[in-house]
Amino acid sequence: MLESLRKYVSGYVALTDEEFRLLADKIIVRSFDRREQLLRIGEVEKYMNFVVQGLARMYFCKGKAELITNIAGEGELLSSSASFLSGTPSHYCIETLEPTTLLSITRDHLDEIYQQSVRIERLGRLLTTQFVMQKEEWEYECIRLDARERFTRFMERNPALVTRVPQKYLASYLNMKPETFSRLKSQLGKRPATGKLFAK
Amino acid sequence: MSNSKSPYAAALDELHRYFARFTPLSKQEFNEFLTYIEVREFGKKCIVIPAGEVERYVNVVAWGLVRKYLPVRNRELTIQIATEGHIIHSDISFHYRTPSNCIIETIEPTVFFSITYENLQEAYDRFPKAERLGRLLLSDLFVKKDTRYFDQLRKDTRERFLDYVRNHAEMLQRVPQKYIASYLNIKPETFSRLKHLTRKS
Repeated sequence: MLESLRKYVSGYVALTDEEFRLLADKIIVRSFDRREQLLRIGEVEKYMNFVVQGLARMYFCKGKAELITNIAGEGELLSSSASFLSGTPSHYCIETLEPTTLLSITRDHLDEIYQQSVRIERLGRLLTTQFVMQKEEWEYECIRLDARERFTRFMERNPALVTRVPQKYLASYLNMKPETFSRLKSQLGKRPATGKLFAK
Repeated sequence: MSNSKSPYAAALDELHRYFARFTPLSKQEFNEFLTYIEVREFGKKCIVIPAGEVERYVNVVAWGLVRKYLPVRNRELTIQIATEGHIIHSDISFHYRTPSNCIIETIEPTVFFSITYENLQEAYDRFPKAERLGRLLLSDLFVKKDTRYFDQLRKDTRERFLDYVRNHAEMLQRVPQKYIASYLNIKPETFSRLKHLTRKS
C-alpha cells in the first residue's frame, strides 16, 4: 500500500528510504464502506488522506442542492484541505462513493516530521502549491469555459470516472444541470476526443 | 509617509513583519533574503504582465494598487485586487512556466518587491527556513482562496457586497466601482443600487 504513496511523493521530491520512513511511521490506514461520511460540515478536518483504493466526493449544501467541489479516486489526495491547514471548521463534507481505503496522517504528525526533514517540508510546500494551482485553474475554467467545453475537458482527463460516478454528481461537479450533462454525453460522448478544440 | 524613514525602508519593515507572522526571521536572515529581491516601479494604468507572456515574478505590493483580470469574450473579469502588503502575480503561468491567461494592470502608481522564478528556487535551496516560510505562506493563501471561492458559491449578491464593504471600506474610495463589481461578480447596476442602500442605513 505504501508503494503507491511513495510513487506519488516521488513526483514531487526524491526522498531517501530513511526520509520516507519518517513519513510512513506516522501513517495510519483507514477503511470505509460505500456512502460513509468521512467528515461533516462544521467539523475540523484532522487528516490529510491519500486514496489507495476507492472513490469519494466532497460537497456542500446550498439550500436543498448539494454542490460537489471535488471527486477523488486512487492515487489522489483527499481532504478538506483549507480546514486541515487552518484548523477551522470545514465548509464541506466528504462522503465515499465506493468502499475506500485511505492512508492518513494528522496535522500534528506532519508538523513533527517537517521539523525533522527539510525535504519533507519541501514536499509539503510543493503539495500546498499544487492545492493553490488546482483551485486557481478550476476558477479559471469555470469562468472561461462554457458547459460544453467543461464537459469535454473533464472527459479527456478523467475517462474512467464516467462509469464510476453517478451522473448527477458529475453534473454537479461540472456546474451544469443533469439534463445538460446527459445531452452533452449523448452528443459528444461517442466521438473520439481530438483535444485540438481546447488548445490554449 | 510622515515618518523620517524612507518609504522603501518602511515597506521593507512591513514585509519583514509579514514574513515573521509565519516563521521567526532575524534581521540578518531577512537581509540575506533581500539580496534576491528586485524593486520594480510602474506608473498608473501600466500593464505589469500581458496575456501570452510567461510570468517571471512573484510580486509583493510595497505601495500602490493593482488588479488581475481575465479577458473573456470582450469582457474583463477582475479576479484579484491587491494593495500594500498583498502578493500578486500570474500564478499558474509562473508555476508551470506557461503563457499567462490573465493580465495584471496597475490602477495607481505601484512599487513591487519582486523575486524571479530562478531566484526563488535558489533561495529555497540555500535557506532551509525559506521552505517553511513558503509552505506556510502558501497555506495561508490557499485558505484565503478557498474562503473566497466558497463565498462566491454560497453567498448571495447582497451578502457578498456587504461583507466586502465591511472588510475593505478604504478600497471603495480607491478602486473604480466597476472593478469591485466585477471582482464580486455583481452587475455594475446592482452594485450602485446596493451602495446607495448602505448609505441610508
